[in-house]
Amino acid sequence: MTGPLLEVKDLTVEFGPKRAPIRVVDGVSLTIHPGEAVGVVGESGSGKSITALSILRLVPEPPARVSGSVLFEGRDLMAVPKGQMHRIRGKEIGMIFQEPMSSLNPVMTIGDQIEEAILLHEKMSRAERRARVVDLLRLVGMPDPEQRLGAYPDQFSGGMRQRVMAAVAMACNPKLLIADEPTTALDVTIQAQVLALMLDIRKRFNSAIMLITHDLGVVAEVCERVVVMYAGHVFEEADTRTLFRDSRHPYTQGLLRSVPTLTSTQKRLHQIEGSVPPPGTITAGCPFRPRCSQRMDRCATEMPPLVTHGDGHRAACWATAPKAIAQGEAA
Amino acid sequence: MSVLIEVEGLGKTFADSSLSLSPKRPPVRAVDDVSFSVMRGETLAVVGESGCGKSTLGRLLLNLIPPTEGRVVFDGVDITRLPKGEMRRMRQRMQMVFQDPFGSLSPRRSVSNTIAEPLVSFGLVRSRTERRERVAELLAQVGLPSAFMDRKPRQFSGGQRQRIGIARAISVDPAFVVADEPVSALDVSIQAQIINLMQDLQESKGFSFLFIAHDLAVVRHIADRVAVMYLGRIVELGTKAQVYGAPHHPYTEALLSSAPQPDPDRRSDRIILSGDVPSPTRIPSGCPFRTRCPIAQPICTEERPPLAEASAGHSVACHFAEAFPITRRRSAA
Repeated sequence: MTGPLLEVKDLTVEFGPKRAPIRVVDGVSLTIHPGEAVGVVGESGSGKSITALSILRLVPEPPARVSGSVLFEGRDLMAVPKGQMHRIRGKEIGMIFQEPMSSLNPVMTIGDQIEEAILLHEKMSRAERRARVVDLLRLVGMPDPEQRLGAYPDQFSGGMRQRVMAAVAMACNPKLLIADEPTTALDVTIQAQVLALMLDIRKRFNSAIMLITHDLGVVAEVCERVVVMYAGHVFEEADTRTLFRDSRHPYTQGLLRSVPTLTSTQKRLHQIEGSVPPPGTITAGCPFRPRCSQRMDRCATEMPPLVTHGDGHRAACWATAPKAIAQGEAA
Repeated sequence: MSVLIEVEGLGKTFADSSLSLSPKRPPVRAVDDVSFSVMRGETLAVVGESGCGKSTLGRLLLNLIPPTEGRVVFDGVDITRLPKGEMRRMRQRMQMVFQDPFGSLSPRRSVSNTIAEPLVSFGLVRSRTERRERVAELLAQVGLPSAFMDRKPRQFSGGQRQRIGIARAISVDPAFVVADEPVSALDVSIQAQIINLMQDLQESKGFSFLFIAHDLAVVRHIADRVAVMYLGRIVELGTKAQVYGAPHHPYTEALLSSAPQPDPDRRSDRIILSGDVPSPTRIPSGCPFRTRCPIAQPICTEERPPLAEASAGHSVACHFAEAFPITRRRSAA
């Protein structure tokens, strides 16, 4: 097996004064292998989007303070000069965001926007570029691509714009596609189209996908592995089946039980009490503690480390950690 | 169960009434010839994608906007033709919960003023003390401490704000509550809290509940009956068991198969519809779904299928409703 494509180690993002920092991402580590689809799941305030933006070096510093390392094919992106990052963004790492309208240029035709992405990164003649733009639009399922080249983003529906975004993101066959809530704003029948498109793209180009979402259904559908985040921390990480069938974190377990499904028979939904703490309000111990049904004294003072529960399955919880490890850590 | 609301041939067209000199935009047909009834004490869900007219339908039922045609009979009274004063009195019996609790709460008003507004305007509280007592009671019913009374909405999380919105809606003890996407803006872990709360209140107070949503799993959890809308029309209407267990309309089937499920073992024989929903300014002739329908035939272009009863309590608007569901049809072919 080749080395990982992306290795994020101990990523921390802080805002606010140094004396009393507000930590929105707190020691996040995660790994993505070539061709792998990894879901990053969390509610608002979990730090999942900031994690993605930090990988791309798109978090403005200052005001933010970003530390840790982001190894992409072994090269530390945190050490790459700011001016060089644009060679990586778009070429090596493609991006799709939730609201395509805010990422597309409203006064530029979609053909020109896709072409620009190619122009920045590849040496091709104009005719070759144009042909590639048409190919890309066909790939993302745009009907009559030749006719639509000269259209502007506002002439498309939400689903079609998201396809244009995907075409821009895929323009240079990136090795990694970061998609932040790519289907959240879309209707369910259109969401199904866009998810099928992402899986198709991945199959053809063997791109890895980092899919950031709050939707457990989307994750189960698309990803092989899932990272669960809460209040800036990674709480659990496992292959998708293990996470859905044998979760070892009370938060993940609660989340899975609280979502109604098309097959469940429960009369009442399981509910996690309370709400997500605003960033910076919990500075010591486990941030899920106030809402956790399995909390212990120790949770108030010490954030549990990610403990291995099986092959690639790790969870950060004192209550579910194997006894030996929980005691060993205390020593 | 007796009928609380009878909806007959309801339609709504929004015309471009702007005074601008630019060309008038074509009229939008938001709701088209919709008929159904809401029983006392039931939860009827209206489900559909954006632009299907479900929110407009909710507003028509409360007479917040006048219909272009048809009528809404509330407890024997046609409210679409009611004089203003009488309609005002009627409003005490019908309330609404909105999607964005922040947008529907005044940022300047305290929680107590917000919740008590319907009580005051219908003259249901006489003194300041009585008002505070009622508000404290209502806060307790939605699971909030009475100490929240004097705070402003911005001090609350999304889930707490939705609780405040619900407290306001139930303050006048309505017979009918319309909730328009009440949980879709909330975090996953908060959704369950609000769904449970609404279910509990509906059960204890017995109001009829029109639950408008796009999330099929949420609807399946909360509803007794379900109406599926597409381009302004109801295409399928039945009990939860009928619509989810044996959907007869190809659109319902496609919707159900498109919804991603948090189950890694679910087999994926998904029906992916091609194309987008047509614009409600240019609704296709005949069956509005035919442009995306996997089983459309020539007759679907010419004749609009009426919403007709396929079995007791289960109505479908499709020329081929009697045929097998398409998933089975396809495998049989």
